[in-house]
Amino acid sequence: MTGPIAQQTSGGTPTRAGGGSSSLADVVDLILEKGLVIDLYARVSLVGIEILTVDVRIVVASVDTYLRFAAACNRLDIAHDGTSQGLPQFVGGMQESGAKKKTRGALEGARERLEETFAPSDDEDDEKKKQPARRRSSKKNEEDDE
Amino acid sequence: MTTPQTSAATQYVYGIIRADASVPDDLTGLDDQPVSVVAHGPCAALVSELAQQRPLGERADLLAHQRVLDVFVSAGVDILPFRFGAALGSRDAVEKELLAENGERLSQVLDRLKRRQEVRVKGTYVQEAILREIVAEEPEVAELNERVRNVPEDASDAVYYDRVRLGELVAQSVKRRRDEEGARLLESLAPAAAAVAAHAPVREEDVIDASFLVDRAKLADFQRAVDALAGEHQGRVTLRLVGPLPPYSFVPEE
Repeated sequence: MTGPIAQQTSGGTPTRAGGGSSSLADVVDLILEKGLVIDLYARVSLVGIEILTVDVRIVVASVDTYLRFAAACNRLDIAHDGTSQGLPQFVGGMQESGAKKKTRGALEGARERLEETFAPSDDEDDEKKKQPARRRSSKKNEEDDE
Repeated sequence: MTTPQTSAATQYVYGIIRADASVPDDLTGLDDQPVSVVAHGPCAALVSELAQQRPLGERADLLAHQRVLDVFVSAGVDILPFRFGAALGSRDAVEKELLAENGERLSQVLDRLKRRQEVRVKGTYVQEAILREIVAEEPEVAELNERVRNVPEDASDAVYYDRVRLGELVAQSVKRRRDEEGARLLESLAPAAAAVAAHAPVREEDVIDASFLVDRAKLADFQRAVDALAGEHQGRVTLRLVGPLPPYSFVPEE
């Protein structure tokens, strides 16, 4: 907010998910964990409704995570040293895309799972609509089922 | 505004607006039920009928909740969002128990949040960039990485613990960097907001996840501030702006 605003139109601009178009994954924890709690304002006529729980918090600090980090690090060096092509980008070509998908990122993993829970974005089709929000996101084989 | 329904039906409550705020006629909420208003004194509740014994939490339910509130956010109408899953026994209960008993309190909160909306900023490390940085700056990581990656795949069990150790060191390093950098990012955006609420990062590569309470008139300024920050960190941290949203993170918790 001080100084001139560098107008970097490519890449530097943050993605915007505004108002109605914000993806559910971006706000689901707010909807479930923030906001006024009705119990504090009314008690007598509260209606007990069963809320299907959603696992928004994914705990990833585990050996599994470490291994994925290690794998990501390993790949990094391979790309870096690339014996024939010095360019890391080049290694990101076709041949790699398969492996990349599988192992890419300790980090991508969790998000993909979360997104899966709520994907496809807001204009969901009817079949998805019927799926309960409660999808245990910790199970690997669920991913494979999809 | 829709005509009042049978007063004994269970009412799902979305949020609170001022009694004089306008509500679109054709607004629908959960189960496509029409959203109507129960007003009393200075405040009004947005409600729709809910079938009894119906478990809530499907994707469509969450979206409906968010969509109803969004309509008001987009229209620039102040709204206090309820947490998902608020329901009272009847319209009468909404009026008497919720509004009559808490009208003043709710009205004060509305005044405090007047013309302000929540904007969420999420920042994540570009994985390759941060890993490169860590390998370059931390000799132990570089050494382990070298050792592990030179082991052929069929013998990789032999270096299992090295791999775990490598990943652990990397995870710790990412966390250290993120704690420090996240705090700095938060600080640089805070002056553009009336209030800040930091959320606990969920994924390792999350650098910042925070909600900012921003005056509607200053939203563009805030976006520019985020743009500028994103430019500074390009290639290393990806910043995303979510919102404007109802002020979920800025309503009183008790």
